[in-house]
Amino acid sequence: MTMVTMNDALEGSHRKGRKFGRDLAGLAVILGLAVVGYLLFPNNLALLTRMTAIALLVLSLDLVTGYCGVATLGHAALFGSGAYAAGIAAVHFGLTDPLLMLGCGILGGALAGLVCGLVILRAHGLPQLVLSIALIHLFHEFANKASSWTGGSDGLAGIAPDPLLGYFEFDLWGRTAYVFGIVLLAGVFTLLRRIVRSPFGMLCRGIKEDPIRIRAMGASPKLALMKMYAISGAVAGTGGALNAISTQVVGLDSLSFTLSAESLVMLVLGGTGSLFGALTGTIVFMFFEDIVSAANPFHWLTMVGVLLVAVVLFAPKGLYGTVVGLAMRWREARR
Amino acid sequence: MQTVFSIAVDALAYGMVLFVISIGLSVTMGLMRVVNLAHGAFAMIGGYIASYAARDLGLGYGLAVLLAVFGTIVIAVPIERLLYRRIYGAPELTQVLMTIGITFCIIGIANYAFGPTLKTIPLPPGLEGSVDLGFRSIATHRIFAILCGLSVAAALWYLIERTGFGVKLRAAVDDAAMAAALGVRTEIVYAVSFAVAVGLAALGGVVGAELLPVEPYYALRYMVTFLVVVSVGGAGSISGALIACLLLGGIDTAGRYLVPEFGEFFFYLAVIAIVCVFPRGLAGRIR
Amino acid sequence: MKRTIIAALAALTIGGAAQADTIKIGVIGPFSGPFALQGKNFKAGIDAYMALNGSKVGDDDIEVIYRDVPQPDPAQSKALAQELVVKEGVQYLAGFYFTPDAMAVTPLLEQANVPLVIMNAATSAIVTKSPLVVRTSFTLWQTSTPIAKVAKDAGVSKVISVVSDYGPGVDAENAFKTGFEAAGGQIVEAIRMPLATNDFSPIMQRIKDSGAEGVFAFLPSGPTTLGFVKAFNENGLKDAGIKFFAPGDLTQESDLPALGDAALGIQTTFHYAVSHDSPENKTFVEAAGKAIGNPAELSFPSVGAYDGMHVVYKMIEATGGEQDAQKAVDAVKGLAWTSPRGPVSIDPESRHITQNIYLREVTKAEDGSYYNKEITTFEKQGDPGLAALK
Repeated sequence: MTMVTMNDALEGSHRKGRKFGRDLAGLAVILGLAVVGYLLFPNNLALLTRMTAIALLVLSLDLVTGYCGVATLGHAALFGSGAYAAGIAAVHFGLTDPLLMLGCGILGGALAGLVCGLVILRAHGLPQLVLSIALIHLFHEFANKASSWTGGSDGLAGIAPDPLLGYFEFDLWGRTAYVFGIVLLAGVFTLLRRIVRSPFGMLCRGIKEDPIRIRAMGASPKLALMKMYAISGAVAGTGGALNAISTQVVGLDSLSFTLSAESLVMLVLGGTGSLFGALTGTIVFMFFEDIVSAANPFHWLTMVGVLLVAVVLFAPKGLYGTVVGLAMRWREARR
Repeated sequence: MQTVFSIAVDALAYGMVLFVISIGLSVTMGLMRVVNLAHGAFAMIGGYIASYAARDLGLGYGLAVLLAVFGTIVIAVPIERLLYRRIYGAPELTQVLMTIGITFCIIGIANYAFGPTLKTIPLPPGLEGSVDLGFRSIATHRIFAILCGLSVAAALWYLIERTGFGVKLRAAVDDAAMAAALGVRTEIVYAVSFAVAVGLAALGGVVGAELLPVEPYYALRYMVTFLVVVSVGGAGSISGALIACLLLGGIDTAGRYLVPEFGEFFFYLAVIAIVCVFPRGLAGRIR
Repeated sequence: MKRTIIAALAALTIGGAAQADTIKIGVIGPFSGPFALQGKNFKAGIDAYMALNGSKVGDDDIEVIYRDVPQPDPAQSKALAQELVVKEGVQYLAGFYFTPDAMAVTPLLEQANVPLVIMNAATSAIVTKSPLVVRTSFTLWQTSTPIAKVAKDAGVSKVISVVSDYGPGVDAENAFKTGFEAAGGQIVEAIRMPLATNDFSPIMQRIKDSGAEGVFAFLPSGPTTLGFVKAFNENGLKDAGIKFFAPGDLTQESDLPALGDAALGIQTTFHYAVSHDSPENKTFVEAAGKAIGNPAELSFPSVGAYDGMHVVYKMIEATGGEQDAQKAVDAVKGLAWTSPRGPVSIDPESRHITQNIYLREVTKAEDGSYYNKEITTFEKQGDPGLAALK
């Protein structure tokens, strides 16, 4: 709630013409970070690619949680469906072109989004959370049962994507996968910034604030939310497909409660209701996890716990939200 | 017919174990409005203390249970003062973040301090073995768990509905500011309720240890189950939680007996169906 | 040709592994989370080997780098393996508790020029995924097939199979079924229960109703095992004389103190018991017990890791510290040695370990502790699961 008002205030302080500039700035930030990441960790591109895929999942979660106020602990269902759609297309139907696989992933994710939306939107608050938990377990169990298609708990192995555009191979060093991922992320991000600012995006925010008033205005909250869920599914599916293409394996973990919960943690860590918050949360959480788990593979979980508690205590609006809040206060003090 | 009875007995026993562990969560979530994902962690602390007391120190079972309940409260009270107090009234997602963080810390510490192996709590001779019911036998400790569940339900009902403290608690839940204005010290009310909830968690952790064994990952492994049970029942309602536990225990048990291959499907489909029919929890309609 | 150039370039950019005097081994396993115990055992086995055999091969120092994958997560596993190879410059990959994690890494090996020594993951098919995989643990087919013969010899002809519904469970069920039916027995029912089963009473009722004389069970070691065995006793199945057969995962030593009397008399077949009576094992248990801190936590993954290190050391000896994965793997094909678990060898064909499988029974020792007492030995067992794949 507080996030949205803050965000609105922030955007309200900008003129319309400057929004396009902010879009470009956002794009520049992503590309800049991507270059910095590449230069700083040229030997760890696999981690960066994985981060990109998860960032897409967290962005997609932000669409329904941050902008529409849907509480879900089952968002990995969309991500995993995309990953399995891409993987199954490659293994069972011989569609090994990465762009085709990506298409399958987007489609799979969007379909899963519709299914999940149909169920999850039937309740609010805590019961909604429970519906999402039940759903993710059903998806997980289904993938486990359909082992002739999904490989069950052994994972769907043997995905061998063709070189991208017939030229760039997905190899050990992972440069192709990384660049591919960054391009996807940048594209999706730009698109999403347009969507959340469009009248449709505003409608969704309105629904989060007061669904009854929206209905009184003559709009259907359910329809709008379903639409958002499908979009969110497509975004998560993109992430899933990227994961399937870059790692060449899809495991049941991509449909797990753990991944769902982790993505929610990342989102809240960064700050809900803002696309930058979603990105910040993903980057900070995954880097932190990578560093502490490499430093002490046995007892790193405690450190992650401490980080989460510290963020709630010292940055209750999420990392990005708090920074923006501070910046605004500073600007106001200068006036 | 015998099969039906048999399933019913198992369902009752399993449901009551679930009830003992999750009723504390119902208190924190329903009355204090905190989505406390660390509930399982407190149950686990209780299990560890009882195991240490009974197995390593050789104390009696009853004493171990008491130590577990009060020991966990002693550990939890500073956590409440330092951390939970900051998130009363905060958005749910913030509470989720904080309590998951606490859970991670407790898991890490338990793993470090006690090692990753299973810990058992030796039962007293009176609770070992099984009782013959005529058509089948049932483990004695399960009957004990059923009795524990019933007495916890009765005691809680009495505390909330019939005592002065219960009145203050309900007032604080309905409107904290107004209750405070009328002289109710809400801070203390909250602290006491939190202690009660944590004590119940510890009790449940010990009593249910035969079914849900104590190990460091306990806190996350069963978190979902507790959360589902409480939400289906309607957070904050004792009768709702009781009915939900028995119902879900029954569905789970019947599903695992009749179609074990699809046990998970059965359980979660039922959960979806119940939530869709009773969006405010079972107790929301019954009242 | 192109591959070798890339590999050579990689070796150069990494820092000239050929002249380097530190050889790095990357170990991936579950070091935190619900399977932390098994990861701890990996480390204990590795530490024990290095304590006994030194941390040097020839002039080269050996350094082990650990990376944590708490639960099956192939994407994470692959990312970490890539990081280990490209950034840390490891010459050997080892560890892997879960099958999907190992499967995810196999496509990397050739390009990375790195052999993979599997210290646990137990699905038969992994070794077929790449010629650079060597396994020093076991497969479920390997450990579950002999118990079928044991069951038949014990005079049991009707058995109900109860397994957890995931890859290894299905493997165990198939292995037992194949073996038991070949011996002339009958599987009256095969139940696959969800992994997240807490209350096993309904399953026990099902077993009772099936009229079987024995039950074959497989569950991943840990808390579920405890619930299963307790439910077996409490529901009167033990008293009804129903026999309990399982592969040794169910009675791993670190779970025995928790299982207590409930486990007494359970017969399992497995490749390693901590109580195995041999001088090699005594040395190993002493060293590994010291490494893990609490000797009661010692269990089978430690021996897989110990022998895995033996294989890696032999590989380094054979290549003289040069990075040549194919030469390293070729060098250990047919390698035979006496492991703490008994005589073992690497099958040159499949690169899987050939070993003795022991029939054991959970027994109470004089000091009140419980152990797996070895009764019969099935010598030189290969992996029947590979034949079943074809």
